[in-house]
Amino acid sequence: MYTIVHAVLGYFFLLLTVRVLSRRPGAQLTLFEFVIVFLIGGVIILSTVGNDRSVTNCATAIIAVGLMHRFVAWVKSRWPKLGEIIDGTPLVLLKNGEYQMEVMRGMKIDPEDIMAAGRTKGVNSIFGIKYAILERNGAISIIKAEE
Amino acid sequence: MASSFATQPIKDSVAKVNDEVAVGEDLDFQRKWWKFEKGVWIVFTLILALDLLGVFGRGWAAKAQRKAADGSIDVKYERIERTSTPSILTVNFDKSAIRDGEVSLYVGDSLVKQLGAQRVIPSPQTTAIGNGGLTYSFPATQVPASVEFALEPTGPGLRHFVIQVPGSAPVEGDIFVVP
Repeated sequence: MYTIVHAVLGYFFLLLTVRVLSRRPGAQLTLFEFVIVFLIGGVIILSTVGNDRSVTNCATAIIAVGLMHRFVAWVKSRWPKLGEIIDGTPLVLLKNGEYQMEVMRGMKIDPEDIMAAGRTKGVNSIFGIKYAILERNGAISIIKAEE
Repeated sequence: MASSFATQPIKDSVAKVNDEVAVGEDLDFQRKWWKFEKGVWIVFTLILALDLLGVFGRGWAAKAQRKAADGSIDVKYERIERTSTPSILTVNFDKSAIRDGEVSLYVGDSLVKQLGAQRVIPSPQTTAIGNGGLTYSFPATQVPASVEFALEPTGPGLRHFVIQVPGSAPVEGDIFVVP
């Protein structure tokens, strides 16, 4: 029973921690952020399974986490406002040649991150980007300026 | 027979930026979220600071010491313990506790069961059960003399313990076990 309680508490604590880490640990994962993801994951495992390393205990923990994930996905689809809290909303980083500094500072995004996303779309200059949008999954979408 | 699917006409419901790109940005919500984030980081920092001080066990604030009213024993322990985490409770004997070349020590059941005493160092010569606990006896010569209990609490909660040399004043205390 403790494993299930620990798994549920661990899931929500991890969700909160990753959410307040800002959106970068999503698609914009760098080596620096890999460290965070693996370290937090490893630590939470210790508290979830405790000293009981049996297959039964591990299976219970996996099922509990899986069900929590499904439950949260259902809650997000049922109440979009809760989806905003869990995933956030898309944010405009660059609009018509102007960086949106409040958003960039708030999300800890550098111009280099936007340019990196631009290069993947074949844009070779920041002036070639009309809109840069930070998506909910952490990816940066690029809408090119017209030639 | 062809199956029918539920359908719904699409609507332009996603908020647009500059009336040209459907993004669904909600800056008001985002500003509130940034404030919430700041609050969470303050709480996280506070938790770490309290942990460094030992408020959650294994630190300066967790250490405690109690002496029996008649001075027969002096107990050093951690007033805050962590579940399934080893710690040491030390009982120092006064010379008045040594009688006929041995010391006896009574410990309440909670020390063994809830606080999970794994072993007693040194091993007692005899162990007697009764009076809601265990009474150990150890051969002893002269002070300083001490006995250590290796604890490993089994679960969270507030645990009360009693330790005494039979016939002398007891030492009672509470240990809070965090999850």
